[in-house]
Amino acid sequence: MSNTNIPDLRTLLASRRGGSTRRGARGPPGPPGSSQSGRGAAADDAVRNTDQDAAGSRVSCVELGYLNDPYAKLFATQPSTRRLPLLNRGSYVRTSAIDLLIDRFMSTAPGEPKQIVSLGAGTDTRFFRLQDKYPPAELVYHEIDFPLNTAAKLAAIQRHPQLFTKLPDKAASLTTGATSYSSSSYNVHALDLRSMADSTVEAAPPLPNLNPAIPTLILSEMCLIYLQASTVSSILSKFLTTYIPAPTPVSLILYEPILPNDAFGKVMTSNLASRNIQLPTLSVYPELGDQRARLKQYGFVDGARAADTEWLWRKWVSEEEKERVAGLEMLDELEELELLLRHYCIAWGWRDGGQGVFSKAWGELHDSAEQS
Amino acid sequence: MSIGGSDLDKAIAQLRACRPIPENQVRELCYKARELLIEEGNVVGVDAPVTICGDIHGQFHDLMELFRVGGDVPDTNYLFMGDFVDRGFYSLESFLLLLCLKVRYPDRITLIRGNHESRQITTVYGFYDECVRKYGSANVWRYCCDVFDFLALGALVTGAATSLSPTEGPLAENAEAMPDIDADIEIETLNSAGEVMFRYARNSDSQTSESSQTLGSSPARPDPTPTRVGAAGTGASGSSNGTSRNEGGAVLCVHGGLSPLIDTIDKIRLLDRKQEVPHEGAMCDLLWSDPDDIDGWGLSPRGAGFLFGGDIVKRFNHNNDISLIARAHQLVMEGFKEMFDNTIVTVWSAPNYCYRCGNVAAILELGEDGSNAGFQRRSNGDRGGGGGGWVLGSNDGTSTRNSTDNLRLPEGPGRRYRVFEAAPQDSRGMPAKKPVADYFL
Repeated sequence: MSNTNIPDLRTLLASRRGGSTRRGARGPPGPPGSSQSGRGAAADDAVRNTDQDAAGSRVSCVELGYLNDPYAKLFATQPSTRRLPLLNRGSYVRTSAIDLLIDRFMSTAPGEPKQIVSLGAGTDTRFFRLQDKYPPAELVYHEIDFPLNTAAKLAAIQRHPQLFTKLPDKAASLTTGATSYSSSSYNVHALDLRSMADSTVEAAPPLPNLNPAIPTLILSEMCLIYLQASTVSSILSKFLTTYIPAPTPVSLILYEPILPNDAFGKVMTSNLASRNIQLPTLSVYPELGDQRARLKQYGFVDGARAADTEWLWRKWVSEEEKERVAGLEMLDELEELELLLRHYCIAWGWRDGGQGVFSKAWGELHDSAEQS
Repeated sequence: MSIGGSDLDKAIAQLRACRPIPENQVRELCYKARELLIEEGNVVGVDAPVTICGDIHGQFHDLMELFRVGGDVPDTNYLFMGDFVDRGFYSLESFLLLLCLKVRYPDRITLIRGNHESRQITTVYGFYDECVRKYGSANVWRYCCDVFDFLALGALVTGAATSLSPTEGPLAENAEAMPDIDADIEIETLNSAGEVMFRYARNSDSQTSESSQTLGSSPARPDPTPTRVGAAGTGASGSSNGTSRNEGGAVLCVHGGLSPLIDTIDKIRLLDRKQEVPHEGAMCDLLWSDPDDIDGWGLSPRGAGFLFGGDIVKRFNHNNDISLIARAHQLVMEGFKEMFDNTIVTVWSAPNYCYRCGNVAAILELGEDGSNAGFQRRSNGDRGGGGGGWVLGSNDGTSTRNSTDNLRLPEGPGRRYRVFEAAPQDSRGMPAKKPVADYFL
């Protein structure tokens, strides 16, 4: 809990006298398409607002030295609040494990063009970090998010020279109030992902500059989890058949919670529901095995792996790095940290004919089922 | 304004309603508490019967639930093993209420120090921010921290009966087959409704001692073979049929665990405790260490204290004539967990910890040794300084240095665990903010 969550007792007493003042809509979000209704809109708001939550966590991690990300604070709109050590540790594991997968992808077959599509990217800084690390010409980066989120992001880019100088046209084409942006390396699409799943529309919504012929990595960090399982299937089917058709190599990295049915998982589900946040696919893919199976079902047939973040911390983080990270803050919440880390997973799967860039990049990188 | 007599009762009533008391009353209370605590030794002597509690962490409503389940002060004697503050929303009200009760009923309630009762930790984990938010300044936090420095480091419970008289309560729905009511009941687990979930007898016929048998692993769903769990209990007692029922050893209570620098309880008594918790050394270890399935000592991943194995616990207990170490410090989903042939138990009293973990909580009741009014004191050592005058056996050179297999350990006390869940919010007309727990989003 961040410090701002500590209630001011005096205000509580005052509000108690005035009766209950519960705010915010409750109840499950409507089905896709019902987002015009009050309830659906409130649920969408809740999901959209999760992005600033993530941005705050990232800033906290950077300020304490867990992560090196000079861009994180440029996107955060709220004053930085120091997160609890266990949350910082969790953010660190999540980010560094995904970094490792992406670094392996980027450094395999250097010189060949590659593409990354980040779903619900929000304020993620990955594009800018990759620009510093790899020759810009090799990467086409796409971000998809709600228009409100993309507008805020583009406005932040326009505000900060550290950001807009990373764009190929120095943001020349970036107009004030824009919700979308296109260039040879960086593209921001203002789009409700659910529109891709609409089966009544023949054509998929256009994603300008998306190259159907170069190896593409799709990234969902806490994004697809907010949609219905059937919607997620439709969206990924659109990607694997329409946007990035075979034989172009394509892969998916998922970061999301698991294990909703044990004591911790039940409390998590109900706590988030009280914030109007539903995680529809959590109960559909509750375990690591379900995550692997779903990747195969989507068509990532050449590799389908998953591990929880507790395992990833133990196995993917070097002893030296563990020591460095452990030294950053005194961590008294060990049992709780382990619980928390075991309830989040990274799942990654790919389709590349078994000999493509993803098989080369990730073939040797085992998960918790293959290597305990 | 003074906080004696009726003022104190008023403050208690106000805090019970989860309303903070004015700053000047806090100052007065903390001053009184310090006067009281300064007289206590590093290891407080406590007579059974007593109810031993683990971490509270500012979960005020759950502390009220604890009192509902365990009985109110002063009707029940309590021993709280630290970590009153941090993490939860009501550290202030929880700690001040316990402190008021301590000042009001000094012989009925014992408070020892946890690793969170420290200036450094409370600035990271919430108590400091809570005080500033509720009072507009850090004064109250400072008064409380000054009290923390005077809290005892441990307690030694004596006079506990080695067997329980079975609770005459209804059986819980999923209760296991119970042993004969006339048997020597060693352990009982009750739910918050007072229903017996689990009970077993000290069965000295079976000597199948299983290392690190964990009784607490599933009290809600009892082990299908409770006699085997019972056997682990006998393994710890190492006694044969006909042992006198009431010659149990004492129970050492400490927040974290043991220290490689401490091999006798007298060495705890010699520490200078009236200071901020140091980053290393014996005092730090007592508040930070954890038992683990290792041999000997290990480095703690917490960055403070050590890990210690079953051999360390058994040797320590043997050398100090202790039958059980009760400690807190680690979240256990089932509320309590016995380890190392029942020579150490972790008691955790913060249900649904941080409003997020989904765990149940427990308290440990030790009964009074009825037949022998007062524990039989042994006098083969000199009197320890301070405390309640409990005297340790010194046992020089009687233990085997390398093997703990043959150590004869004193028979453990009868243990009644009451398991309880988080209090329903808004249930008692007290202000209760809907807690917001952080997740990765």
